[in-house]
Amino acid sequence: MLIVLGLGILWFSGVCAAILDGRRRWVGFASVAAILAAIAALVALGMNVRDEGPQTMTAGGWPSGVGIGLTADMLGVTFALLSLGVLLAALTFEVFNGVRSQSFPALVLLLGAGLTGVFLTADAFNFYVFFEIAMISSYILTGYGDEGRQLRSATIFVIVNLLGSAFFLMGIAALYHQTGRLDMAGIAARVALLNPTSVILSAVLIFTAFGIKLGIFPFHFWLPAVYTGTRPAVAAILSGAVANIGTYGLLRWGGGMLPDELHTAAPMFFALGVISILYGSLQALSRRSVAEVVAYSSIGQVGFILVALAIGGPAGFAAAVLFAIVNAVNKTLLFLSENLRGWLTGFAFAVGAFSVAGVPPAGGFLGKAGLFQVAAQDDNWIVIALVVVGSVLSFIYMFQIYQRRFWTPEVAESANAVASPVSVRAVVVVLAIITLLIGFWPEPVLWVSEQAGQSFATTRP
Amino acid sequence: MNATVFLLLAALSAAPLTAAFGAARPSLARPVAILTTAIAFLAALYNAFRPGPAIDKEWAPAWGMRLHLEADGLAVLFALLATGIGLAVIIYSSGYIPLHLHHEHRPEEDQTRFFAFILMFMGAMTGLVMAQDLMLIFLFWDLTAIASYYLIGFDSQKREARVSAFMALIVTGISAVGFLIGALMLDAEFGSFQLPELIASVVPNYESDIALVLILIAALAKSAQVPLHFWLPRAMTAPTPVSAYLHSAAMVAAGVFLIGRFYPLIVLRGWMLDLLLVVGVVSMVAGGLLALTRDNMKQLLAYSTIAQYGYIVTMFGLGGKAGVLGAMFAIIAHGLAKSALFLTAGTVTEATGARELSAVGGLRHSMPLLALASGLAAASLAAIPLTMGFFKDEYFFEAATHHGRLMQVIAVVAAAMTFCYLARFWKGIFGGPILGTVSPVPNVLLAPIVVLGALSLLGGFWPEPFARVASNAGQVSLLSTDELHPAYHLSRTTENIMAALAIGSGVLLFFSRRVWFATVELASDLGEKIGPERAFRAGVLNLNNFSDRIHWIEVRDLRSRVATVLAPAALMVVITLIFTNADSSFELQKPHRDDLTLIMMIGIAAIAGVAAAIPRDHFSMALALSGVGFALSVVFALLRAPDVALVAVLVETLFGVLFFAFLALLPRNVEHADVVPSDEPQELGHHHRVRDSVLAAFGGLLAFLVAWGVLSRPAPVDSVFERYVDLTPAAHGGAIVTVILADFRGLDTMGEITVIGIAFLGIATFIRRRRLR
Repeated sequence: MLIVLGLGILWFSGVCAAILDGRRRWVGFASVAAILAAIAALVALGMNVRDEGPQTMTAGGWPSGVGIGLTADMLGVTFALLSLGVLLAALTFEVFNGVRSQSFPALVLLLGAGLTGVFLTADAFNFYVFFEIAMISSYILTGYGDEGRQLRSATIFVIVNLLGSAFFLMGIAALYHQTGRLDMAGIAARVALLNPTSVILSAVLIFTAFGIKLGIFPFHFWLPAVYTGTRPAVAAILSGAVANIGTYGLLRWGGGMLPDELHTAAPMFFALGVISILYGSLQALSRRSVAEVVAYSSIGQVGFILVALAIGGPAGFAAAVLFAIVNAVNKTLLFLSENLRGWLTGFAFAVGAFSVAGVPPAGGFLGKAGLFQVAAQDDNWIVIALVVVGSVLSFIYMFQIYQRRFWTPEVAESANAVASPVSVRAVVVVLAIITLLIGFWPEPVLWVSEQAGQSFATTRP
Repeated sequence: MNATVFLLLAALSAAPLTAAFGAARPSLARPVAILTTAIAFLAALYNAFRPGPAIDKEWAPAWGMRLHLEADGLAVLFALLATGIGLAVIIYSSGYIPLHLHHEHRPEEDQTRFFAFILMFMGAMTGLVMAQDLMLIFLFWDLTAIASYYLIGFDSQKREARVSAFMALIVTGISAVGFLIGALMLDAEFGSFQLPELIASVVPNYESDIALVLILIAALAKSAQVPLHFWLPRAMTAPTPVSAYLHSAAMVAAGVFLIGRFYPLIVLRGWMLDLLLVVGVVSMVAGGLLALTRDNMKQLLAYSTIAQYGYIVTMFGLGGKAGVLGAMFAIIAHGLAKSALFLTAGTVTEATGARELSAVGGLRHSMPLLALASGLAAASLAAIPLTMGFFKDEYFFEAATHHGRLMQVIAVVAAAMTFCYLARFWKGIFGGPILGTVSPVPNVLLAPIVVLGALSLLGGFWPEPFARVASNAGQVSLLSTDELHPAYHLSRTTENIMAALAIGSGVLLFFSRRVWFATVELASDLGEKIGPERAFRAGVLNLNNFSDRIHWIEVRDLRSRVATVLAPAALMVVITLIFTNADSSFELQKPHRDDLTLIMMIGIAAIAGVAAAIPRDHFSMALALSGVGFALSVVFALLRAPDVALVAVLVETLFGVLFFAFLALLPRNVEHADVVPSDEPQELGHHHRVRDSVLAAFGGLLAFLVAWGVLSRPAPVDSVFERYVDLTPAAHGGAIVTVILADFRGLDTMGEITVIGIAFLGIATFIRRRRLR
């Protein structure tokens, strides 16, 4: 029953919060508490998964395959916890900062419910439904704030992602037509029997949809406009939590259900990953605002995830999960500290910058190390060279903007930075400390990503 | 708590303690910094006599990383340098930094930051030298880079400081990535991050060669060896105590430390020693030449550091007892002397305001003690007998002699250059006629220099303790039990002759400087201008320009266009069709006469779909869209799905009503506005329309192909649908669709209701917000 507890808490509290005025402080804190409760439930679930293996249940007590199933394995629980952690940080940040719209806490909670559902469902169509819950919440969240800027970026975000959703729906329909199943395990079993070439087109649609979610090249054009247009808390949510759907989706659908197709598409993944890394990093170089640099940096960073997926196998998947984890933490930290003032913020941002550049003790170096490790194991020099080039560029763009924003006296004192309560800065500092802790004691993150990478024992020859 | 743990904790806790006390009360930062450093130094000294046992604890078993630290001879040497010279530098800073902040018009609280970072530097160095796990080494390695970044950029209000800090970080940070790769490759190849295990198990092969070369590059970049040296002379923009520390005991020393640490693996390949030799000699000569003519005191010393570490790298390259153990000895001698010289430069600048040699002179009259102390330090570095430095050159000459005549000549020339530039430095400050005015300096800006100078002299008379430390360190690198026993031999040994030659030609060089000065200066200026620094700057600039260019393209042509999603998606499908042998046999069933109505309705839907894209006003667009919907409802009905068809009709009606109600409520000017934005020039608009139509047609065609391809596959035999049919009675329902929606897939329905609810919530907030405010 633990498996629905976290989901239920978020869903229920989200609906409750929807009828309350989220601008009241107590509603905000209650929502924070709800996310904390859901995280606690998921941690408990994760312990069960660790001790007893994947947990499953089927809605309505129907036989599996007929009723909608939920399955919690390490991969799903990891992504759910990661995303909820990001939501927790962003919501706390905004509650301390003063929520500006009635629906903000409710939307964050419902987004959390959608994401948790996406990561725990074992049914293809149900995945789409939860995906829709998450997406519609994020559409509205993107418009959060009062200015035309936010509405404009919301419009772009909605149109692009609706296209992505349409591709995804087409892919599911096609898979259903060919396999006659909607439960993921069933689809995977049937697909394995089919001639891989007959499923490849459906797979491409699905991969494309997740590529749009992730914002990889060439589906990224919406991303900088949206991330820079919305408010920092929302940008953190989009890049730290919502983008996880892309990584998780590629892992679950690619690694778990369409392994042969993933293998066939690996060169494409690799090529797109490479271009994303180079393109995102090069674009990030000379951008003048923090949000722009971080947005383009996201494109580069997901390129690394794609490369890890292209390498594939438990080790490659583990590297992808690891990278996704540290990237989510980095991006949340950087987006949230973007507009704040004071040396504490400077410290927090610096930790984020070192993390993106891959300098320990900030945790980000683990992501790159994971990729190097996989590449070193099979002497994949192209990947090594690529990660090096990516690192070089990330060093340059991160510290150009860091020095510009925090060291240049004229800029550091400009009106861009807003005065904020200490509690808001405390959120950012806590995130920075978490980033440092990941670097000083990497074992939990490494263990979790290793376990998550082994969720599907599909070892490629 | 054993001695090792105590040393580690003392060194690592110094920075946080200082930061904490300093944050509470800025005046506490200085005493706490001095106290914690002194404790760390005492701990290091204790370890020199009674090294504690190794620490070996689990850290991250998932990757086989361990908290493995040991205070072995090598660690003790560098820990003594880091904490000992650290102590001198921090005591000096306690006088210097308040003055510096005063000059820069900065608040006094900023000194907390300074002490915290310099102690972080010390802690990181101490951790680094004790670490035996490659990942732990990497962690501490980059911690030193972070500390140096903030120290070099301490005066971040100055552009120059920002550029220097950036350069230092990029060069050392990126070369550190090489270290990480090397470490991971060694682990992948030999299954361990633990250095002792690797030393026992590495059999050199292709992978280990690359790994070690990457590690060496990281080490050489940190030691500011040519061609990755250019960040170091820049780094002198830091406050002087930072330079003193950076050049003598931290940062640059970390590079040669790493060579010492990995030496047992490096010696497995002769060519790696040759590589060290080449880099060392080039750095020695280039650094020496550049130092000969610099006028800025700190810059002269910076180039001298490059040359001196060139010495040390060369000695590692020459190898053997004299080379490696001698290198360790040279590190100590250089550390003591160089820190004293840098601090001298700081004191002189503080007293006179001058930074150039040409702007000072005759200070021997007003600051005799300083003249004596820094004279001793300079003499030691220049290897004058009766100073500690004399022995470092003895070992250098001994190692060079083993390697042949050419090496001997290079060694003597390098030593002569060292003598010459140090003589210039000392004479420029203390000799000659009195220039400028001298204001008194506090004693704290003198005492550390006196102590360091005295130690340089002490080492000349009683080298044995220093040699012990150096021997213990060298033994770790050489895996041997060799020992150094420096002593003066008053006979015509080769080394003595070489030393005499070096000093002699150094004197000659110094007095003949009128002859060569202009030429060398020109060559040095040229070298600085076209050197790697220029390449670095040009590289960064060009990257930024390139970035601007591609950004402009993206913003101008690509951003916020639907086509930029549609076109690449279609391209993915095309690539799949071309490059995979996707089963793309498209089956076309023979049309039956009964299908005619179906085909007609689909045709109508298609026409209505195209029609929806053409009109320029919202009303016709909505009309055409609902045409698509109604045509498709008929299609459902014809496909024998009357219930679905009914639902579709209902939905379409509802949508139509909503649309028209909405349009009726819109202000008139919005309703009649063009759908296509009219702010574009008409011609360009037309161009876009054609392009967008082509793209849309292309996208639609590919969607059609995908759908057709999928529908051409045979439907599976036992679809889950059949089970729904079978189980419907069990769900106590009559209509299958109802049971599916309400029971089998009730969770989906609940989810979709939530989706609608959220959409409603969103719309409500958008509308209400406007009204409420």
